Amino acid sequence: MAGLFFYRPVPSVLRLAALAVLSATVSFYSLHHSGLRIVGLSIARPVLWVNGEIRSGWAAVERYAQDMADLQRENKKLRKRILSLEKQNLSLPVLRSEDRQLLALLDSFPTPPGKVAVAQVVAQRLAPGSQAITVNLGNLQGVYVGQPVLAAGGVAGQVTETSPANARVALLSDRGSSIPVHPKGSGLPLLVVGTGNPQSLKIPFQPRNTPLRKGVVLVSSGLGGRFPPGLPVGTVTAVRRPVTSSFADIRVKPAASLETLDTVLLLWPPTRTRP
Amino acid sequence: MTPAAVAGMLAGLFLALVGSSLPLGTMYANIHPDYVALLVLYWAITSDRGAGYLTVWAIGLLQDLVVGDMPGAQAIALVFMVFVLYTGISRVKQFASWEQLFFIFALLLLERLAAWLWQGWSGVLPHWHLSLLVSPALGTALWPLLTFTLDHVYQYFHRPRT
Repeated sequence: MAGLFFYRPVPSVLRLAALAVLSATVSFYSLHHSGLRIVGLSIARPVLWVNGEIRSGWAAVERYAQDMADLQRENKKLRKRILSLEKQNLSLPVLRSEDRQLLALLDSFPTPPGKVAVAQVVAQRLAPGSQAITVNLGNLQGVYVGQPVLAAGGVAGQVTETSPANARVALLSDRGSSIPVHPKGSGLPLLVVGTGNPQSLKIPFQPRNTPLRKGVVLVSSGLGGRFPPGLPVGTVTAVRRPVTSSFADIRVKPAASLETLDTVLLLWPPTRTRP
Repeated sequence: MTPAAVAGMLAGLFLALVGSSLPLGTMYANIHPDYVALLVLYWAITSDRGAGYLTVWAIGLLQDLVVGDMPGAQAIALVFMVFVLYTGISRVKQFASWEQLFFIFALLLLERLAAWLWQGWSGVLPHWHLSLLVSPALGTALWPLLTFTLDHVYQYFHRPRT
């Protein structure tokens, strides 16, 4: 047996040469006959079976990894969604605030004297020389020059310029603004004019012995036909009688917070209808 | 060799054949270490009686048949590798670890090139591929782990029975 397995008797080189010849024979035989390969395939069956099982296991691992990757992708997508929703949540207080403003706006005028449209303030200029806002409604929505504009609490101003999509509103505090008013419960005709300060209006040309007192509420009188009567305009905050002047210095606090306007109501008085 | 050792050797050969023919894609097929060659090397180095050339040749032929290579190519390559080991560097067991690794790499590379050339000589020369170098390198890297594992398996089968 030892000789058969080439352990010692035959020199190594001869054994190598003999096996090389044997290999060459096998190789050439297999090139022309497929029998050896078929036999080999039969012999390999257990190995191939194990390979198949391992391949199945590997495929399962790959599927698992794929599922994991899908889950991770979905997770990533959901995280983005959460981020987006959180951003929306951040804007919720703002929306609530706007909602409150609108409700306050509507509560200010339980029965608006005419048709109204809610407009968003898209621009604001509160310089001493010019107190104006720009809203997102214009000609196309029927906005016209001179149209009364209301805000939460009372009158805000009137439209001075229009474009198809926007309108500029001069606030009561604008130096060029004026509105006919009278004290609530009294027929005393007065004129409130702007001072360039959104927190303070004035009533010019009142005699030193004016009956106006601090705390008097002023409403629109309707004179001139531009503002409907009865709209809150402001409250007298100070009545001074300077010795150097013939007229009293009367200050009025606007009924609407003119410096913090986000939403306003455009009013179409009953006498004028929306085109 | 005891029957247990033979059984262990056959089990190792079976696993090596499985590892050599695993269908895990082109990359694995190109670069996986030649597990059968590693096993034969270990056996040839550690066995007291040495590995019989005909047995090695039969193992190589079996590998050819299972993997689907040209029958005889791997067989003669393995025999050539063992021939070089026995005639040239038979004292590899006494070498330092890094020297042993160097010779293991050389032997695996030799075996790989021999099989490659044999296939070419038989008419189906595969293209030169980097795997001819990568595979022996990976096999060399695997050698310490393989010897550690097989040493323990060998000791398990040769422990004194009470």
